[in-house]
Amino acid sequence: MSSIEALYIFDEHNTPLLEQTYTGRPPSGSTLLPLYLAHAAPRPSLVYLPNTNPPTLLYSIIQDQLLFLCPSSNDTDPLQILEFLHRVTDALEDFLGGPLLASKIESHYDVVAQLLGEMVDGGVVSCTEPNALKDVVDAPNFMKTLLGGVGLPSATPSSLAPSNTPFSLGNRPSPRLGPSGGAGAATSSPVPWRRANVRHTSNEMYVDIVETLHVTLSPSGRPLAALANGMIAFTAKISGVPDLMLQLGCPGGIANAVSLPTFHPCVRLNRWKDRPGELSFVPPDGRFTLAGYEVDLLGSAALDSFSTTTPTNAAPKLNIPATVSVLTSLGPTGSDFEVRLQLNPRFKGKASSPLPSSTSSFGGRGGLGKGLGSTAFGGSASTGTTAAPAMDGMVIHIPLPTSVKNVVELKSGRGSGEAVFQPAESRVRWAINSREIATLMANDRGTGAGVLTTLRGTVVGHDNYDDGDAPDTSLSLSSNTYDYDDDPSSHQSSTSAAPTKPRDEGNASKKNKVLMPSCATVSFTVKGWLPSGIKVESLNVDQKKSKGLGAGVQPYKGVKYLCVSRKGVETRC
Amino acid sequence: MHPSNFAHWSLTTARDLTLEAARDAANVRNKTSTKMLPSGQLKKLLDSRSERDVLEGLRRVVTMSYRQPPSQTLPFFSHVIKNIASPSLQVKKLVYIYLLQHAEHEPDTALLSINTIQRSLTDQNPQLRALALRVMSGIRVPVISQIVSLGIKRGAGDMSPYVRKAAALAIPKCYSLDPNTEPQLLESLSTLLGDKQFFVAGAAVAAFLEMCQNRLDLIHPHYRSLVRKLADMDEWGQLATLRLMVTYGRKCFPRRTRKIRKPMDKDTSTKQKSTKGFYDEESDSEESEEPEYEEIAVLDPDLELLLNACKLLLQSRNSAVVIAVARTYLYLGTPTYMSLAIGPLNSLLRTSGDIQHVALYNIVQVCLLYPQSFVNHYTHFLVRSTDPPHIWRLKLELLTLIFPHAPPRLQSLVLAELSHFSHSGSLDPGLVKEAVRAIGRCSQTTDPKTSARCLRLLLTHIGSADAHLVAESLEVIRHLIQRDPDNHRTTVVRLAKHLDAATSPQARASIIWLVGEFAGLDSENNIAADVLRILVKGFADEAEPAKLQIVLLAAKVYVHHLNANPPPEPAKPEEAPQPSPSLMDDFHEEGGFRDAPEPAPAPTAPQPKEKPHPIVALWDYIILLSRYDTSYDLRDRARVYKALLATPTSTQLANLLLLAPKPVPQTPSPSETRKGYALGSASLVIGDEGGIGGLRGYEDVPKWVKEGSEPDPALRDEAVSTSTSAYDAGGPRALSAAERLDAATGAGARSGSGSPVTSLHENGVGARGGAVGGPRKEEKTLDQWLEEESEEETESEEEETEEEESEYETESEEEGEGDRLVK
Repeated sequence: MSSIEALYIFDEHNTPLLEQTYTGRPPSGSTLLPLYLAHAAPRPSLVYLPNTNPPTLLYSIIQDQLLFLCPSSNDTDPLQILEFLHRVTDALEDFLGGPLLASKIESHYDVVAQLLGEMVDGGVVSCTEPNALKDVVDAPNFMKTLLGGVGLPSATPSSLAPSNTPFSLGNRPSPRLGPSGGAGAATSSPVPWRRANVRHTSNEMYVDIVETLHVTLSPSGRPLAALANGMIAFTAKISGVPDLMLQLGCPGGIANAVSLPTFHPCVRLNRWKDRPGELSFVPPDGRFTLAGYEVDLLGSAALDSFSTTTPTNAAPKLNIPATVSVLTSLGPTGSDFEVRLQLNPRFKGKASSPLPSSTSSFGGRGGLGKGLGSTAFGGSASTGTTAAPAMDGMVIHIPLPTSVKNVVELKSGRGSGEAVFQPAESRVRWAINSREIATLMANDRGTGAGVLTTLRGTVVGHDNYDDGDAPDTSLSLSSNTYDYDDDPSSHQSSTSAAPTKPRDEGNASKKNKVLMPSCATVSFTVKGWLPSGIKVESLNVDQKKSKGLGAGVQPYKGVKYLCVSRKGVETRC
Repeated sequence: MHPSNFAHWSLTTARDLTLEAARDAANVRNKTSTKMLPSGQLKKLLDSRSERDVLEGLRRVVTMSYRQPPSQTLPFFSHVIKNIASPSLQVKKLVYIYLLQHAEHEPDTALLSINTIQRSLTDQNPQLRALALRVMSGIRVPVISQIVSLGIKRGAGDMSPYVRKAAALAIPKCYSLDPNTEPQLLESLSTLLGDKQFFVAGAAVAAFLEMCQNRLDLIHPHYRSLVRKLADMDEWGQLATLRLMVTYGRKCFPRRTRKIRKPMDKDTSTKQKSTKGFYDEESDSEESEEPEYEEIAVLDPDLELLLNACKLLLQSRNSAVVIAVARTYLYLGTPTYMSLAIGPLNSLLRTSGDIQHVALYNIVQVCLLYPQSFVNHYTHFLVRSTDPPHIWRLKLELLTLIFPHAPPRLQSLVLAELSHFSHSGSLDPGLVKEAVRAIGRCSQTTDPKTSARCLRLLLTHIGSADAHLVAESLEVIRHLIQRDPDNHRTTVVRLAKHLDAATSPQARASIIWLVGEFAGLDSENNIAADVLRILVKGFADEAEPAKLQIVLLAAKVYVHHLNANPPPEPAKPEEAPQPSPSLMDDFHEEGGFRDAPEPAPAPTAPQPKEKPHPIVALWDYIILLSRYDTSYDLRDRARVYKALLATPTSTQLANLLLLAPKPVPQTPSPSETRKGYALGSASLVIGDEGGIGGLRGYEDVPKWVKEGSEPDPALRDEAVSTSTSAYDAGGPRALSAAERLDAATGAGARSGSGSPVTSLHENGVGARGGAVGGPRKEEKTLDQWLEEESEEETESEEEETEEEESEYETESEEEGEGDRLVK
């Protein structure tokens, strides 16, 4: 079951960057690449190449435009290899700094070689934990490149701790042979995922909770599915071996909100099981994903609302910053469509906040000073705080059939962004920047019903309906269309109204119906707000269990919330 | 949640990427090119006394070795190797990297370095020892296999777990280098399998799988300790162990359906579907009180230990581990356990696209067996407009799989969903096709109401301007009607009505064919003749596929007409059966050689005087029309039909050809073809494309071992674990089992299986473990003691966990895994 036979990395122009063979005699990268590229465009992550010798399973991932290939001649667990490839990219990013670039790899082949050598031994994945790797491989370091890298190799103190403190601060002044030399201490680090002897001058820890929205709305605006995939990213820069306790809270109780969590191995699972919402762990040094979870924003009873009897307004209420609805087959020939964007007044554009600050990644952090302890995380007055969540990067994509040649007369409402038709992707992209959002919001401050802005366009097909001899296609077999709510007043009835039109027009609209968009997606980010309402209640260092952190040292704490939608809010039509 | 999402979560990343790329492209590229030094200068660097220069030189050589073929870097071989004795770890590492890459090209020179490497095996620095072991085993020069095997033996007893891990991973390498070293390697391996350090044991299991998957006898003494360590291993160790355990479980725990021998198996029972293993067992055991399918699976306590240990892994961040647990539950556990894994399986759909794709195949595989468990997770399976084809294909399949088990509301939701994609799919014709087919599969439910709904839904598609949609819908409708013709007479009538609307030739052809199929039913009130009459008017304007079907329809109608009203010629009824073959022959000849204008009047000949029946007239007209058609195919077919029906009195042959009952088409779920492949294998993803029986190296899950032929459970008692002498490489397993049993009784540590006192299995395990704990400690070798002392830090922690374990053994299993954190 020797799984990892080789690893090939190609850059964005598909020129080979690195070839590392681990075991066996896999086909070379130059033979595999054309076969891989021969596959149709959305290439699956696992491709079977029966024509190589031996027949090869080719695993691939693409990270930061670099292509990672891993051939395997045996049937193995595909996910194992894919996970491994992801770990390789993580480790490379960790050592070389993200984003991964071809040039970074090229200038640090020695580090990459050591890393790849440590991660796989004879085809068996041996160690992928970034902290453990840091114990055995030197990260490229600015100081080192300046000094030529050697100097006093066997006597340098731990110069590679991220804080770059030249002298060890701890009570145990172990003369280490550099981080790579002090393996005696390093390899027996009691916590496998944490580096030994971590030292930081300023102790800091940050919690970033990111939730990605996946919402599907029916044509009538009723949510079909609304999931928020959450990720808790943790950055720990704390000396010694800290034992941390992160308490999450949520209005409806964390156990009801969060489902299907996954955890970093450092999290004590029994603690979570006994008391949901409490994450007790000894963190790795640096940045890592502490947990992932998902939240069903509709709740479990969502399905009950799909009955024909309940009125539409009883639909589950979904509190998301922006939704769209699309009306199709408008106009005399049914060639127009209209997209309506509804903005939730709770979320402001950026300009409305008192300080038009830059997009610093620390912008949304509520400062949590030393000794604040378990008090609520404050909403300091910067952009995107919990008090005034800021919306940014609003983009609406309207994918169109490939048979659409052009979209003319694209008109968006006054002061609401710019829309263009992108023939290559065959879609309309409508972007509204945060300032425009703010202006829109300001106009509507009084009503509180939210802001509505529209985009209208006319599609032009490739064959401009000139062959008029096609038989009359206006037909409605059964008026009982299975709409999402069986609501006759929904817009689908507009299609059944088509036959009443004169023959030509009905015909044209019939044809144009094929050219209509079928959905629209909204992308945006909101800082300082989470759809699930999850909050960090407290983040404490357990002084009794922790080691190596000086007494009375209170690390700086920061919390950031971010809600992202990457084409995540999708409306059917 | 995969950490790779790190790269994406920051929104500024994309901009960084472009900015940095632009900057780097400008300078770094040419910097690396200037870095290329002439070989002489490089050699001088490598030969330098200054460590700094050497390191610089090595960096350049390593860089070269990645950028250029080995022929470019080989000339430096001796210059590089010279530095292997360097005191600097940095230098050493780079030399090792070079050595591993080039040793095979220059085996003789590489041998020179072995001595130095061997010396490093005794270095004070454990990292260096591990490195040396790794490099030595990685140099593929068969001559040194004995040295490597010695090194492994020494490494297996090393006090640093890091070195022991390297030793474990070196075992398969050494074995592939020289299989003769197997006995010594197995000895080291069995020591390492029992290692206390989690990551060493994990690596040892990986080595075991690599080298000798079938020597399960090596696993017996370590089974329980491996299971206990499972939760604490690193993810790769967990993967290897779970893989091993599925095989081990199938081969060592017969599927018992009622307690036979063990009094402690009482409370572990759960409902269990009948499996193959169950049937095997059934043939052996003489009686069973319950009816067959209500059988109750009784899990071996050891197996249950494994299944419970897996529970914690379900929350792993590694998707492969989740699938591996699901695999363990599917092949070893009961449906109750399987249901635990359903949610975590769905959580894999949160991950990045590549993992999602593979995970979906596995989910579909599980869903084929337990569709009802997935109903509540339907929101995960809704297709999103951003999904690539290989994702939505599987999602649609999942929706159809859960459809029969869904409550009515969800059914309408799924149907609405499918019809949305069938309408809007002009974005992607493939999606239309799949969505329509999915509706077809949904309609295969037993509920006639739902079936009718699906059909109505499909019927709405016929008038669409989208040719793909119409063609595919009709195809599916045809399947539906064929499956249940009696209930669909009215449907055919409706379809026929919409012949006016349907424009696509394929669609028209499909409808006409269906009308023809139903021409014989209900002869008093059939529309076929009427449809034909209408179609004949526009025959000339039809496309060829439609024309072909019209001619066929005419033939069918005519045959039915003849059958219903046999022509008034009872003169030669006895001839009828006989001449038909000869007739056939005749017409093959005639039809082949001449245009046969003569037979044309033949059918009408009997009644030339009176006005022919309209159907007969229609038939003649069609034949005449098609005779002068431009398509040779159409002309040929018309001629065949004409010949076939030339004699109105003998229609047997025509009946046979035209009115033969058609086989009912079956549309199973697309993944049914992959059903045979094991969960979590690449063959499952590739399917039969990889060859029948899976890809190379594919191994099916072994069958359940038969009751009675499984190894003695006492082998798993840990009391015997210390005796390594039992690992004779050649010894047959049954014998060694007996030996061990003897040894166990002799030691007096046998308390588990035989003791009638322990009735509850948890207590049984506890008692066993407790009794075993003592002697195990005593029988430790001196080396192990020394090792423990030298590693106070880690060992003391393990003591802690052991204490916890003993606690749990008396309490309950779930808490037994204790804190996963070693403080």
